[in-house]
Amino acid sequence: MSHPRLVSGSRPRASGPVRAATVITILAVAGLIGYPVARLIPSAHFGAALSAPGVGLAAWHTVALAAVVTVVAVPVGAAMALAVRRPDLPLRRTLSVAMVVPLVFPQFVLGYSWTQAYGKAGFTDTFLGLHWQGLLGPAGIAVVLIINAAPLCYLLTAAGLATRAQPDLEHAARVSGASPATVLATVTLPLLRPALGAAAVLTFVATLESFAVPQMLGAPAGFSTITTRIYADLALGSDPATFDEAVALALGLVLLAAVLLIPADLILAPRLRSERTGQSSSAGGRAPRTARSMFIAAGMWLYLALGVGLPTLALIAASITRAIGLKPTPSNWTLDNFSALATPASAQQLAHSLELAVAAAFILVVLGAIVALLARTVHGRALLGLTTLSLVVPGSTLAVGLLLAYGRWLDGTLTLILLAYLAKLWALASRPISGAVDRLPPAEVHAARTSGAGPLAALRTVVVPALAPAVAGAWLLVFLTALHEVTISSLLYSTHSETVAVALLNSQELGDIGQTAALSVSLTALVLLAALPMAALLRMAVRRRGIALPDVSELPREVSVAR
Amino acid sequence: MPGSGAGSSARTEALRITDLTVRYRSSDVLSGIDLVVGTGELVALLGPSGAGKSTLLNAIAGLVAPSAGEIALAGTVVAGQDIDVVPERRDIGLVFQNYALWPHLSARDTVGYPMRRAGLSRAESDRAALELLRRLGIEQLADRKPAELSGGEQQRVGLARALAREPRLYLLDEPTAHLDTQLRATFQAELRTRQLRSGAAGLCATHDPAEALAIADRIALISGGRLVQVGTPTEVYERPVSAFAAQLTGAASILRAPVFTADHDLVDINIGDVSTRVAGATDGPLSPGVQSILIRPEWTTEAGPFAGAVTAHWFRGPHTDYLVRSAAGEVLIRRGGPPTHAVSEEISWGLRRAWVIGGGQPQDQPRDQPQLRSPAVSQPNAAAMPR
Repeated sequence: MSHPRLVSGSRPRASGPVRAATVITILAVAGLIGYPVARLIPSAHFGAALSAPGVGLAAWHTVALAAVVTVVAVPVGAAMALAVRRPDLPLRRTLSVAMVVPLVFPQFVLGYSWTQAYGKAGFTDTFLGLHWQGLLGPAGIAVVLIINAAPLCYLLTAAGLATRAQPDLEHAARVSGASPATVLATVTLPLLRPALGAAAVLTFVATLESFAVPQMLGAPAGFSTITTRIYADLALGSDPATFDEAVALALGLVLLAAVLLIPADLILAPRLRSERTGQSSSAGGRAPRTARSMFIAAGMWLYLALGVGLPTLALIAASITRAIGLKPTPSNWTLDNFSALATPASAQQLAHSLELAVAAAFILVVLGAIVALLARTVHGRALLGLTTLSLVVPGSTLAVGLLLAYGRWLDGTLTLILLAYLAKLWALASRPISGAVDRLPPAEVHAARTSGAGPLAALRTVVVPALAPAVAGAWLLVFLTALHEVTISSLLYSTHSETVAVALLNSQELGDIGQTAALSVSLTALVLLAALPMAALLRMAVRRRGIALPDVSELPREVSVAR
Repeated sequence: MPGSGAGSSARTEALRITDLTVRYRSSDVLSGIDLVVGTGELVALLGPSGAGKSTLLNAIAGLVAPSAGEIALAGTVVAGQDIDVVPERRDIGLVFQNYALWPHLSARDTVGYPMRRAGLSRAESDRAALELLRRLGIEQLADRKPAELSGGEQQRVGLARALAREPRLYLLDEPTAHLDTQLRATFQAELRTRQLRSGAAGLCATHDPAEALAIADRIALISGGRLVQVGTPTEVYERPVSAFAAQLTGAASILRAPVFTADHDLVDINIGDVSTRVAGATDGPLSPGVQSILIRPEWTTEAGPFAGAVTAHWFRGPHTDYLVRSAAGEVLIRRGGPPTHAVSEEISWGLRRAWVIGGGQPQDQPRDQPQLRSPAVSQPNAAAMPR
């Protein structure tokens, strides 16, 4: 070693930067979440709000909807994850990817595509004369939200299977005399309990917070939930009483979410984080292809075709068909709906969406990295816990709180929406990054230091390459979620800060089918355009460097809640 | 294949594998495996990692489906001929390399699991599980879950679970791979006595030649998915079929030198114009000429006709190994006590034994096997050699 002094001697603790980062984090949490939510409390007039007609019913609808969606989506997602593990399943890899595809669709695009597929004057109506009466109403909302939530339950179960239920554990049960059904009941499902619990809690809370689908499918039928009621109070109402009601509902929603999420996070998070116990060793599949697995695969494809495939086709058809009610045959095709989008207003909306998404992604990746690195210090765990708050506070609540807190200065500006995004999506950025930091073995840094690297060189050569995929993944996640976002922006936008997603919602409410479909297709294409190259780059980085991607178990929980 | 199935037809067979092939993604993980394990017999499956040991055990357990061939347990075909008996109906007990303990079950529930599946009530299986844990000396751990057990304790629980099924055949997948030397010796002793007492058969995969030689009635050498040699530990160690087989079972020097049959099993070996006569170097007629000759370090003698310079030496505790340059290649020589010769010093040596590989027949080594390495690097666990 040519410079032994660089390695030996005590390492100075960088207490200055650590303190500064701690202060920044605490100020950000207080300013973005703490103060706005606290501002709600003195302004809430529960008595008056709760006695208003329809409020109790909206609250009941919200809870019942969340219960129904959870009870169906969790078993569906879990069954899919278990089915995809069958080694004899035809097209197994394709299916395992296809199951996640619905995540690409913004919730309201999925809802809208269902109206185009199964609603009145929709695809099945045009061709078969059949349409589903219940689509506009609680049943339709529940079905669309289930299809929206199932991929997350699927991912959480799959992650649970990968980390806790290794094939060897099931093999051990088989050679102990257990039949496949007994193995499922005595080994697989008990091991999946934390994952299924997390999936249930997250699905429940995500449904509580969901806005776009209940609004789109519920409003025409007069079905309201807490979130749509807040929207109606703020966007349509004008007197102080409706504003008070919105504040009270926002506060009620955050209480409901907190009561569920905080204990669940405390109980489940450490169990989900438990490490892989050993490398699994299974070469080759067991049985040759059976009729049963063909049957299961067929069922899964049918589910995907009816739930996502046909609605997507119907949406595309609607976007290129000349007029409502015409059959989507080539003679009726047109690009008018898309060319009608090429207006200065649309360009403005697109610019707003992109500005918001890019700004939120960059700021949150920096904040997320700060929190993740701080989490390694003594008090850092508590800071990481603070960012969990951003998971707990529903978007509608944040929007109302921020409006109360900063509306005087920022009402109707993009900045206000950006602040809300920062508050809502923070955990989305910090959790994957801190997960990657957690998995970085200290020995790797020590090895770099004992090989002659200084602290900065070690950071650059060992830490940064290992964290790069997680940081890129966090950036992408925030960017895409911000593009999708409509709950917050629909409450806070003005004519100067309209985004594509808000324009879509408004155009749907105006009933312009061709235009709405074209906007939906464009937004989804935009999302795909951003997601695919990034995902490919990530995968390449992973393959080249042999670095683990951010744990899937850490991603979906935030995706679901951030919607 | 020498030794395979010799005399086993007279005994009852616990396991018979016939021409077994396992194909995975169009490449053969196992091909043409023939192996018989007799009742009460313990066979070690010795080979480097990736040789197919785990796959073979999994195929016998029913966790991997064979692509061709046949597996019979106690005379009943369980795989092959369009038969595929599910794992839970095969009369085997499997000890997993990583123990595969269920994180949500206590030691008692884990050991009771196979008994419950066999139809015992909870009370009965609880009692029997405790009794089994007591026999293994870990009943105080009955209520602990795997996360609260040390590696050795986990291994005992895994073993107890296999014992709980009271099968006629035990399959052990590198049972000592994650144990330290002392626990390993304890386990080996225990396995031997327990297996002798129960009369059940065992097939134990290992990559440690010392372990295989110490515990097994017979050893099956496996490499690249094929059985290279099957025989008693002495056969496999002293009369390997190839240089590769010789190196799998311990420290080995391979010299290329001219040999001549002197009389019956007496063979003259010529190294650097000096000749020595050894017994038992071949078990058949020998074709004279330059042959590959196996020399184990302990087969060398202190005084002898040969001389060479020491190129390296290793102190092993009870003895010292010297690598010596000879006219026919480098040879590893073993002498008692600490090192007494320095590097580049000339020492004399002789041969007490040797083995002409392949009996002087032209050797056909499978191409996918590793090439011969210099003896200096090919001495797996020479220190742990039990002789």
